[in-house]
Amino acid sequence: MKPYQLLPLRFHDFKNENMLLVNEAGEFLFSSKEEFNNMILYRLDTKSEIFLDLKSKHFLTDTEIEPVIKMLATKYRTKKSFLYDFTSLHMVVPTLRCNSKCKYCQVSSKSEDAVKYDMDKSTAKRTVDLIFMSPSSSIKIEFQGGEPLLNFEIVKYIIDYAEQCNLTEKKKLEFVVCTNLTLITEEILKYLQNHKAYISTSLDGAMALHNNNRPFRNGQGSYEVVTKNIKRVHEYLGEGSVSALMTATKASLEQFTDIIDEYLAQGFNAIFIRSLNPYGTAKEDLDSLGYRIEDFIKSYKKALKHIININLNGTFFVECYASILLGKILTPFTTGFVDLQSPSGVAISGVIYNHDGYVYVSDEARMLANAGDATFSMGSVHENTYQELFHSDKIVSLLKKSCLECLPICSHCAFQSYCGVDPIRNYAEQGEIVGNRMTSAVCKINIAIFQYLFELIKENDKPTMDVLWSWITHKPIVKEKQISHESN
Amino acid sequence: MKVIKSSPVNINEKVIGRITKEPLSRFKRRDSIFATNDLNGKFAGYTGVITDNYCSDSILKRLNNIPLCHSVTELDYLNNGDIISLDENGNICVLYSKDSFHNAILVTEECNTNCIMCPQPRKKDKESITPFNIKLISLMDKSTKLLGITGGEPTLIGDELLEIINACKKYIPNAQVDILSNGIKYSDFEYVKRTVLLQHPNLMFAVSLYADTDNEHNDIVQAKGFHKTIQGLYNLALFNQRVEIRVVIHNLNYKRLLRLAEFIYHNFPFVYHIAFMGMETIELAEKNIRQIWIDPRDYMPQLKDAVLYLEQRNMAVSVYNLQLCILPEVLWRHAVRSISSWKNIYLDECKECGLRNDCGGFFSSSRDRHSEYIRPLKKESQFIT
Repeated sequence: MKPYQLLPLRFHDFKNENMLLVNEAGEFLFSSKEEFNNMILYRLDTKSEIFLDLKSKHFLTDTEIEPVIKMLATKYRTKKSFLYDFTSLHMVVPTLRCNSKCKYCQVSSKSEDAVKYDMDKSTAKRTVDLIFMSPSSSIKIEFQGGEPLLNFEIVKYIIDYAEQCNLTEKKKLEFVVCTNLTLITEEILKYLQNHKAYISTSLDGAMALHNNNRPFRNGQGSYEVVTKNIKRVHEYLGEGSVSALMTATKASLEQFTDIIDEYLAQGFNAIFIRSLNPYGTAKEDLDSLGYRIEDFIKSYKKALKHIININLNGTFFVECYASILLGKILTPFTTGFVDLQSPSGVAISGVIYNHDGYVYVSDEARMLANAGDATFSMGSVHENTYQELFHSDKIVSLLKKSCLECLPICSHCAFQSYCGVDPIRNYAEQGEIVGNRMTSAVCKINIAIFQYLFELIKENDKPTMDVLWSWITHKPIVKEKQISHESN
Repeated sequence: MKVIKSSPVNINEKVIGRITKEPLSRFKRRDSIFATNDLNGKFAGYTGVITDNYCSDSILKRLNNIPLCHSVTELDYLNNGDIISLDENGNICVLYSKDSFHNAILVTEECNTNCIMCPQPRKKDKESITPFNIKLISLMDKSTKLLGITGGEPTLIGDELLEIINACKKYIPNAQVDILSNGIKYSDFEYVKRTVLLQHPNLMFAVSLYADTDNEHNDIVQAKGFHKTIQGLYNLALFNQRVEIRVVIHNLNYKRLLRLAEFIYHNFPFVYHIAFMGMETIELAEKNIRQIWIDPRDYMPQLKDAVLYLEQRNMAVSVYNLQLCILPEVLWRHAVRSISSWKNIYLDECKECGLRNDCGGFFSSSRDRHSEYIRPLKKESQFIT
């Protein structure tokens, strides 16, 4: 008879004769190869520390099975709790017009005078009505573009109408305006302040890089006006009211530390280092903008080291992607990050309402549609009911094919518990929603980052771990006070 | 519980009453025990009378069978609003001190575990003490802020515990009521449901958990309780109840305190508070002392890791029953003055300590058994709150 029962686990051959073990609920443990081999051969001493560690984290049991499964199930439910809420992120495109012409524009934006790409009032109203049909108790309405401020009338209309609806719905309601900040005015700032809207903007780095990546339609650089306006927003709406995203192009890779320093100089306390998404112009110009995945990973690791050092030197500054992954690895909870969910967050966590009333399962799905492929359209706010939009066979089938637990390669990947799937990305890159992990860029990047984060966790350098935890808890690092403690 | 000696008269069965030091009008004397040194008045209507004087026969005659304790040794210990019981042996038990933050009632002496370090070993109850306890609660001051419900294992009295919770809701509506339990009974979903349906606004369940694996926990509680306790914690969480986890530290579980902290964080992240506690070395603990004793100073590395682990994860965590001079300074902000005042002492070494007033001190039983490393601290050592 076996001396103990193994429970579901996945593992990863780690550096230096170590194994990384992850259980079904995302709890992990490092063991030596020898211990691992003993474990699977049922040769572990049930009195040893490693056995107790494995048992404590529910990798195995030598006593009861049923109550342990129950505990794993409870933890698993917590990890999947994003499924309880249904769609909470509702992106709206008030216009596809934009005054910028970014090198990597993923949405195929239109020129400033192309008013036929504006959302009209009836579409906006029907969109808000649909948003409030979501059973989620918290609703985030995020304005995407184009440049939303080019159609600020509709932005205002949607915010006002949503607030009016919320008088009776009483949901937790949030607004985010994703803008290049070049068109912000006193009046707009005042309005956003009154409605407690957050601003999300783009800053690609220092002047030369930003201007190169994100010129105006007339070819001029936007750096000066963007940074001036970041300052204004900070003064007007306070610290933390604006966050920024950067998109890494070939030119950025060598400059990550400069980009980070630029973020610090502009008063940000976080950066989201994003690799290029292969949609729109970015897909067309991949040769000039793109890079080898290995190069991105190398630069990302260097950037993360730099950021950790900034924190160690006393400045709180977060790398958002690492922070999201660490939250998934180190806590029993999940994050609301739509891109890293299983089943995928398409439609059930986030959804986008285009200017013309068409609804898409994700921002990337609408990017594809803008480029001519409407595969992931859910229907139209004018022609379809909520049921038809969100409970169609199309959505169900898409979700069924987006569970990591049963996707090839993912099903036995040790990082599965922390990862997610983007079927639209698979489709865009590989022509197929299930996709092939062996050739997937996203998979390669994620695995490399997971591996790097686990290296840091394994090293367990206390100051570094304090920094990583401060990102998760948003709590300043507590320095141990060294006061002498002599008797008198 | 504090017990004061005296000489009893007219006491055939235990009486319970609220102390008054001022005479009350004839119609307000019910349930009151008059503490006085003037025995010349009339006492009709009082539940009892206590005095530090000696009573002559002539006075006794005038008492008309009213229960009396005379020659009380520590009358000054008692204050208006305190609740005491008088018994036929002249023992005055202080059941409730109006000004104390450590009031607790014992609802049963029976238990379904037999913890190796238990300071209050289980006994069979001769009869239900619930009517007595409800009477006691009814006499408590309305402003009471906290009441502990302890045992034995309080849940063993089943529905009677619900009656007690209801009495708390009625008579001491502002009090947080802490139920000190091993959690086993709360694995019964229906029982949790009925408890919650009482809608007491301020219940807290302080559940003890001693190890992160079943055998190790069960060896300590000497019963098969681990998974039932866990199911109990889950059931309480399901109903959004406030739950505290209490960990008594000793030689059998100190090595894996960090693992236990990890276990708590990953399985019960919903808990409101976690308390790591030094042992009170009486009764079973004293009997098993060779097996369970470790100088608390020797488990400080493990305790520090566990507390800081939970603190980093935004979990509220406290350290009970341990002294500042043996705790690493990073743990001082977690140290709570947790020992009930009637059994709280300081040692001779503490006389010169500059931080004595910030320190929780010792159980009176620790006079002979405490860390070897107790020493006075300088006042300059800054106390971080």
